[in-house]
Amino acid sequence: MAEQLIVVDRGRCTGLGICESIDPDRFEVEDDGSLLLHQERVAEADRALAERAVGSCPAAALTIQEGTPA
Amino acid sequence: MTALFANEHDLTTDIDISSLKFWSQPFEVREQAFAKLRKDHPVSWHAPMEDLDHSPEDHGERGYWAVVRAEDISYVSSHHELFSSQLGFTSLHPLMSEFRAPAAFLDMDPPQHTEYRRLISAFFTPKAVTRLVDKIDLRAGQIVDDVVGAGSIDFVDRVSSRLPMLTVADLLGIPESQMEEFREHGDRLFALQDPDAADTFEERMAISASAFGFYAELGMELIADRRRKPQEDLMSHLANGTVDGKPLEETDILMIMLLFSTAGNDTTKQTTSWTVKAFAENPDQRDWLLQDFDGRIGGAIEEFVRYATPVMQFARTATQDTELGGQRILAGDKVGIFYCSGNRDERLFEAPDRFDLSRERNPHLAFGGGGVHYCLGNGVAKAQLRALFRNILTKLPNLEVGEPTPLVGDFINGIKHLPVNVG
Repeated sequence: MAEQLIVVDRGRCTGLGICESIDPDRFEVEDDGSLLLHQERVAEADRALAERAVGSCPAAALTIQEGTPA
Repeated sequence: MTALFANEHDLTTDIDISSLKFWSQPFEVREQAFAKLRKDHPVSWHAPMEDLDHSPEDHGERGYWAVVRAEDISYVSSHHELFSSQLGFTSLHPLMSEFRAPAAFLDMDPPQHTEYRRLISAFFTPKAVTRLVDKIDLRAGQIVDDVVGAGSIDFVDRVSSRLPMLTVADLLGIPESQMEEFREHGDRLFALQDPDAADTFEERMAISASAFGFYAELGMELIADRRRKPQEDLMSHLANGTVDGKPLEETDILMIMLLFSTAGNDTTKQTTSWTVKAFAENPDQRDWLLQDFDGRIGGAIEEFVRYATPVMQFARTATQDTELGGQRILAGDKVGIFYCSGNRDERLFEAPDRFDLSRERNPHLAFGGGGVHYCLGNGVAKAQLRALFRNILTKLPNLEVGEPTPLVGDFINGIKHLPVNVG
């Protein structure tokens, strides 16, 4: 069944971690600047926070898309 | 290769935003010109920014395109393949050829920019900022404690100008014994375009050069020391780090150190001064914040930086002919993106002139318009502002603010002196 998923465009992500500062349970920037996604699925209860984190990315590297989890 | 900044264009408006006279006016007066440009001339051609010492014949630049609407600024900022930071660097102010040197990765495009950012990323992640917070809180507390009961003081000298350079110094790993000197030299780096620094070009040049000399000497000592005995600081990381598999040149490391010493200084310093002034003019905002400081300070800081916009513009160079805002921009043209105008864009902000900490959304451009050059130190800046205002608002409750002495210039929205009475 299709779900709401966070999609990271690795080519655009610059590893600033604005997403982590908003939603640290889901996003974590590692020391080499790469982004770890702890939780791909966006549950309805977490949706507002995830949307805020996604919308705050200055590199426009994050989106929420409908899909099947990897 | 296309010659840089050599194309001729006819003026598209008679609104002046390039003269020293224009930049000598207060922000609110300048904003009236930007408001007109945003309305009728979203992209417009202008004469080069007026220089204190050099004429257009000296530097040879023909002018620049001013981009003033938030949406267009973001477009330019996030399309580095069309609008390069590397080709002509990012100074909108014209530079004489002998001063044209890249300011480290600020003046690079991907993929080179990406390599450098990867090298230093570890020092600016949210986790790295968290590790800095205790030191920032401690220093902010000391700075404000020092002025409690001090009566009439210059707030810039005693408070605003202190924490940013100390934080940069902590990050780099500057020894405590050289901290004060490191801090004091920070303001002299920009003396060349500061009419108050000295009367003649030669004198201002000498001030600037001695500051550069200080950083170069300190930097070289630290590089040698950290190569012998690496520590946990950023200088150790740079001294022993590699880009593309090769160690960094010493001059590269010095340029990065200088970039942090400039990018990390005025930004937070000016935001602190403007915000203190804004609170004095809007006591209701102060009361609102204090009702729930921890819950509201995050959003409030976004408004502090929007309202202050310490960096007013940066430049890009068009890599190819392109259209923007109804104008035909040619390859090699200089393009100025005016954050000071974008942050007052009525298309994006309701009542943009109001200092309103309760804005639900605040997609300001004070850390840049998005893309790869978004302010790396934004988290460090926010940690400093949080610590400073927690202390200022609670320990200096009766702060009376006088008339500021503005810094005249087209780049930093600055306050040189701010007389206050702290009671």
